[in-house]
Amino acid sequence: MKLALYFTFPYPNRESFIRFFHGSLNHKYDYLELGIPTEFPYYDGPIIRKTHKSAGENYSENLLRETVKEAISKKRKVYTLVYYNHFKKDRKDFLQNLKSMGFSGAIVPDLLTDFFPERFELVDAMNEEGLSLIPFFTSSTPDKIIRDVTGRTDDWIYHGLQPSTGIRVPVSTDLMVNRIRSLCPEREIIFGFGINGPEIIHELKASGADGIAVGSSLIPSMETDDMDSFHREIHMLEEGVYGE
Amino acid sequence: MYKIADEEIIPRRWYNIVPDLPEPLSPPRDHDPEKSSIDLLNKILPKEILRQEFTSSRYEDIPDEVIEQYLQIGRPTPLVRAVNLERILGFRGKIFFKNEGATATGSHKINTALPQAYYARKEGVEEVVTETGAGQWGTATALAATLNNIRSTIFMVRVSYEQKPLRKKIIKLYGGNTYASPSNLTEYGRKVLAKDPGHPGTLGIAISEAVQYALEKGYKYMMGSVENTVITHQSIIGQETRRQLEFMGESADTLIGCVGGGSNFSGFSFPFVESETEMIATAASEVPKFSKGDYKYDLIDTAGIMPELKMFSLGSDFVPPSIYAGGLRYHGAAPALSLLIREGRIKTEEVTEEKSMEAMGIFARTQGIVPAPESSHAIATVIDYCKNPENQGKTVVFNLSGHGLLDLSIIRD
Ligand SMILES: Cc1ncc(COP(=O)(O)O)c(C=O)c1O
Repeated sequence: MKLALYFTFPYPNRESFIRFFHGSLNHKYDYLELGIPTEFPYYDGPIIRKTHKSAGENYSENLLRETVKEAISKKRKVYTLVYYNHFKKDRKDFLQNLKSMGFSGAIVPDLLTDFFPERFELVDAMNEEGLSLIPFFTSSTPDKIIRDVTGRTDDWIYHGLQPSTGIRVPVSTDLMVNRIRSLCPEREIIFGFGINGPEIIHELKASGADGIAVGSSLIPSMETDDMDSFHREIHMLEEGVYGE
Repeated sequence: MYKIADEEIIPRRWYNIVPDLPEPLSPPRDHDPEKSSIDLLNKILPKEILRQEFTSSRYEDIPDEVIEQYLQIGRPTPLVRAVNLERILGFRGKIFFKNEGATATGSHKINTALPQAYYARKEGVEEVVTETGAGQWGTATALAATLNNIRSTIFMVRVSYEQKPLRKKIIKLYGGNTYASPSNLTEYGRKVLAKDPGHPGTLGIAISEAVQYALEKGYKYMMGSVENTVITHQSIIGQETRRQLEFMGESADTLIGCVGGGSNFSGFSFPFVESETEMIATAASEVPKFSKGDYKYDLIDTAGIMPELKMFSLGSDFVPPSIYAGGLRYHGAAPALSLLIREGRIKTEEVTEEKSMEAMGIFARTQGIVPAPESSHAIATVIDYCKNPENQGKTVVFNLSGHGLLDLSIIRD
């Protein structure tokens, strides 16, 4: 399985973000997802939602560029998680900028629900710049949409386990994994939203998931500036993902 | 014709339309960005109900115990050809109606009350809580709770509480407790009463009270409409209808039903969504959610405790005029239904109270059944439809969501 780590950039502030980011690089993980702060991150749960405010106040494009560069030099692929409002104006500039920073692609959590008619336009615009759109699906995404969007993209797929991040409502993991797998058998599928412990990681692994993405569960230790607990948390994820 | 065994008509699975929608459904959203109202659902809903709310499965098995109860309360309900109505309209086609009024509680509401109470009981809950406007949902909840050996508390919109004493009596007979809402039992109720001691109440306020009460007491909340799980349970109506039509060698050209929160219409029509069947959803002109409402995220309860949903809505603070069809006095409509309307798959009509009362009379005089004021709106649309020369020869099926015997006391002579 693969591991993707999510950080809202730069939470809680520039200096701490750099420390935690460097701390994370001591661990094994595959993908780095950087959330670009936005005013109303409505598809995120309350924990991540809170991070957008201080990240927004501390945002620095230069630091973002350096962060991506460093992650790439450490063999991580870097993606951004960005709400659609960032593409609304100067889309081409925005995409070219992402590309020049070294991003491999973007996850746009509100694209398929609130900007559905624009979906393929964005996919094409991203392809043109050499960026991949990582489709974001949930259990509420209809079969046909999954097939269509999968057919127009070729990187991995992000599947939300939960209606929003950091929340746990009951789901049947097996059913969910089997369904998305049967709709896109050839693709790498990474599960995120609400993953917070060894049990669910184990369950996903047993169901045949290709990886997990984790964000909310890293935030409390960043919020309290507790590096030890941050390391313990990622270590637990590493064990779950790469261990036996 | 032989009588088909009831067991052959009742489906063994509920149908969930979400995986078959033409566009993704927008997920529920928190109203207050500081809080998670989705997480709150964990506290007030049975786990199984919450799982069904967000499932990707097209079908959900109906537990054997629920099937047994469905048979006990009168399922499958009859699908009847309304020959007399056809004659009086001079309609050269066929009209069928699915009679949900033939259930024990007199409407479709029992179809979801039974599984919700069943799952609550299975989780060891002693009491369920809900709101009711017209009284149909409260009645269904009280019976479903009793059949599952648990208690029920029902916040009834004050005007209905005062105008419909029979409803209270039936609920009491079933062993349920009713309170007029706004009440003094909850913080929200007290707040509303402090501002206006004579407040007549609304469904939105009653929902807020029921949710708060359930939270405070650790009971489970029962959802009467709008939510996806409810629509899934109500799919029993449309699935039965499909089979009954098949056995009769008929197929529907057009489906018609009324819309309050959207549960009876969606449950009736969604199992036909993949076919070419035309679908018409009728709302009340006094609650013009389709013609004057916006398709947007909005609250489902007035207090904003529950997550917001994307739907056609007149605004959660819209206070509908008091019409007989209490069940249609709701500002929004189920998200999947709203989406299919916006996509043009489902057409809409709006019918005035006057027209619906006319339709009630025509139906009573021709078919002998007193339709609920809500269902009378659907009948009005059926009548208009069948009078249109273009529609001659078609087969029209409508959902008679309930009977109106208990509503007659409020209707002016
Ligand atoms: C008989 C009847 N029909 C229709 C409705 C409207 O609700 P829904 O649109 O959820 O079916 C109600 C609601 O109380 C009702 O009692």
